[in-house]
Amino acid sequence: MENFEIRFGGSGGQGLQLSARLLADALIREGRKVARSQSYEPTSRGGLSRADLVVAAKRIDYPLITALDVLVLLDQLPVAVSMPLLRPGALVIADARRAGEIPEGDHDLHLLPLSESALALGNERATNIVALGVLAGLGEVCEHDTLETVIRDGVPPRFLDLNLRAFAKGVELGEAGGPGR
Amino acid sequence: MDEISADSFNIRDYLRLELFPHFLCPGCGHGIALRALLWAIHELGIDKNDLAIVSGIGCSGRTGAYIDANTFHVTHGRPLAFATGLALARPDLEVVVITGDGDCLAIGGNHLIHACRRNLNLTCMMLNNEVYGMTGGQASPTTSATRYTTTTQSGSIEPVFDACALAAAAGAGFVGREVTIQTPALKNLLRDAIAHKGFSFVEVLSDCTEIFGRKNDLGESPEMIMTQKSTMRPASYGVVGGNIVDEPFRATNLKTGILTRTDRPEYGAAYRAHAAGIRAARKS
Amino acid sequence: MPSQSTARDLQGNQACALGAVAAGCRFYAGYPITPSSEIAETMSVEMPRAGGVFVQMEDEIASLGAVLGASMGGAKAMTATSGPGFSLKQEHIGYGAGAEIPCVIVNVMRGGPSTGLPTRPSQGDIMQSRWGTHGDHSVIVLAPASVPEIFSETIRAFALSERLRLPVIVLYDEVIGHLVETVEIPAPGTVEVADRKWATGAAESFQPYAVTDDLVPPMARPGDGYRTHTTGLTHLESGFPTQEPECVERITRRISGKLVHHRELIESYEAAGCEDAEIVVCAIGISARAARRAVNAARAQGIKAGLFRPITLWPFPESAFKSATASARTIIVAELNAGQLVLEIERLCGGARQVESIARVDGEPIEPAEIEAKIRELSSHG
Repeated sequence: MENFEIRFGGSGGQGLQLSARLLADALIREGRKVARSQSYEPTSRGGLSRADLVVAAKRIDYPLITALDVLVLLDQLPVAVSMPLLRPGALVIADARRAGEIPEGDHDLHLLPLSESALALGNERATNIVALGVLAGLGEVCEHDTLETVIRDGVPPRFLDLNLRAFAKGVELGEAGGPGR
Repeated sequence: MDEISADSFNIRDYLRLELFPHFLCPGCGHGIALRALLWAIHELGIDKNDLAIVSGIGCSGRTGAYIDANTFHVTHGRPLAFATGLALARPDLEVVVITGDGDCLAIGGNHLIHACRRNLNLTCMMLNNEVYGMTGGQASPTTSATRYTTTTQSGSIEPVFDACALAAAAGAGFVGREVTIQTPALKNLLRDAIAHKGFSFVEVLSDCTEIFGRKNDLGESPEMIMTQKSTMRPASYGVVGGNIVDEPFRATNLKTGILTRTDRPEYGAAYRAHAAGIRAARKS
Repeated sequence: MPSQSTARDLQGNQACALGAVAAGCRFYAGYPITPSSEIAETMSVEMPRAGGVFVQMEDEIASLGAVLGASMGGAKAMTATSGPGFSLKQEHIGYGAGAEIPCVIVNVMRGGPSTGLPTRPSQGDIMQSRWGTHGDHSVIVLAPASVPEIFSETIRAFALSERLRLPVIVLYDEVIGHLVETVEIPAPGTVEVADRKWATGAAESFQPYAVTDDLVPPMARPGDGYRTHTTGLTHLESGFPTQEPECVERITRRISGKLVHHRELIESYEAAGCEDAEIVVCAIGISARAARRAVNAARAQGIKAGLFRPITLWPFPESAFKSATASARTIIVAELNAGQLVLEIERLCGGARQVESIARVDGEPIEPAEIEAKIRELSSHG
């Protein structure tokens, strides 16, 4: 995909902004233009949270999302508000444990054990990086190597090992394709 | 006695004589305070090129223009805000604020308490004449109970601010009060205030004969000033924080002299040291 | 230090702060308010690093007061705020205009009136930014529409403010303020830093508000021996107050005249696809970004549509607007308020063109589809 719109949706504190920032960094390194916006609620923890990217090969005219090509859901909270924004045939990646109830529709759903994988690695907070790995594994949004590089550059050293393992796990899930329906 | 040795001080050296005659009413105490301020500046040897006067709105604020220095006549109540920016940007200047009881304690009250809290090197001379003179004699936060003004036509019933107690409680490094008739003492107080490194607050008990005194049957200027003098004349001397303070005859009157002097860190120097530390840490 | 420019992903508000640093700003005073606080936060880091001063003041009024005080002392100075704080700063904006003190004021617009919608975008301060303070006065308002443009327009704000001795307001909505885009940051020292004209020559004969050819009098720096008087009262060339009608008019006309005399320097705009346009959309900020996509989509459908985007919002680039809309039958004004910019466009069109308004007031940005639909509707009715 050259020009696309992607949303990371979840609840506050799930690291959605970090995922969006890392993906944006990777896409910019690949020569794309990226505009990043976020929901801006009065509270910092809990509650609906989202991070949106508008990606283009050249100049971005309108920087906010209008029709999503990719939707990553880490919690059930943003499901209702985000589903109507999907473009037909959009890619939806959802955490099977925390965002298990996805309505039927004209989209390519991948319901995956994102948070379970992170928990198995020892820290649920790495769920956001597992999700990035899935995007790399599916291979439609961004190159694997670029994403891995920005993770190496962009996360604190003491969490690097955990994040690299989370990323690898996500890649594995993505390459397997998951139970698409 | 340096209180009377005004030999080398010629006030004309510090005034913009081309602006005279001045606008103050006959009998107004503000001119005496202005004289004391310029005398103190003379004694401190401050070059008037390096002197910045920031004043607010009202009779007090208008006095600044007569000083032959860098003078800034700003908005009502905000001279301390302007002076904070000026003193932080230009620590080489000697910054003196001239304000009044309405300018400083009513509309500018928030700026006063925060200037005291920061303790930036500034001197604030507040001329307290108990009234808004320039707007025609309305009540101010220091108008005494029972006084008549154009907005308290049956006598004021509001409590007053003790400006010095407020400034000291908010953390001002130096706080003092004086009456205009004690001009040499006022000059000494202002001299010590300007020399103090930190925020210095000086309340000058001035008199408004024309607008306030007349309405309250307080007599002409000499009577008003002599009343101030007699009620402020010390019954005894007290000591506050190592300084001799005049205890007034009557419990309802206010103490004069240096009321507070502390060595709290001066904000400008503290900021510059902090910023230099940040720069040094980045280089290493 | 990098010797070349570096690309950085920045939030709009960060870009504003970094633009100010690059422009030579060395004094920032502010007060926390959503959605502009990131500017203060960034400046609190940048000012001490750059050898400048950051101070968090006790309120919005004091913030601009301190900025004016610092500028009187010679520093390039800035404050930033949003709606309610911008309202509070209006008296001091007037002081800056009247006493001709350079300063930059950033207003990140949120929904109003009053506390309104602290976290939602608006463009409701279009008129307040020009006419908020009392009396006739000269201010410039710049309206960037992207993060890179926030960076470059903040630099231009300082240049204009210093050069013309007046307050310059940088005005953008919450969406642009919180958007993250890539900004090409010039290498340190490569941005031309504009400095105001300082007084030189004999102090005795110096007139701080003399009428000069460019209508901008040189400014006396405290400590340089000029010992001038600065006041918010209407004043003579000498700096001292006057109420003489002839003098009052002369001074008032000179100050307003600065905007006319320096029109070319001040005005900036973008006109895209306007040459043969039948329909021109006029908008600023996030609404202009939506308009750009809508205009492109309309062009793809064969509709002759164009975009006129004032980058200098005030004084409005009148003659550029008139030439850009020479062939247009219809102007659509898209804005996040109940209809402010449209009033100026109606004035400029003088009834000669159809002027249509898209005025959104629900706290959400205008979407490209809304504008595209309006273009199609007006086009098919042609």
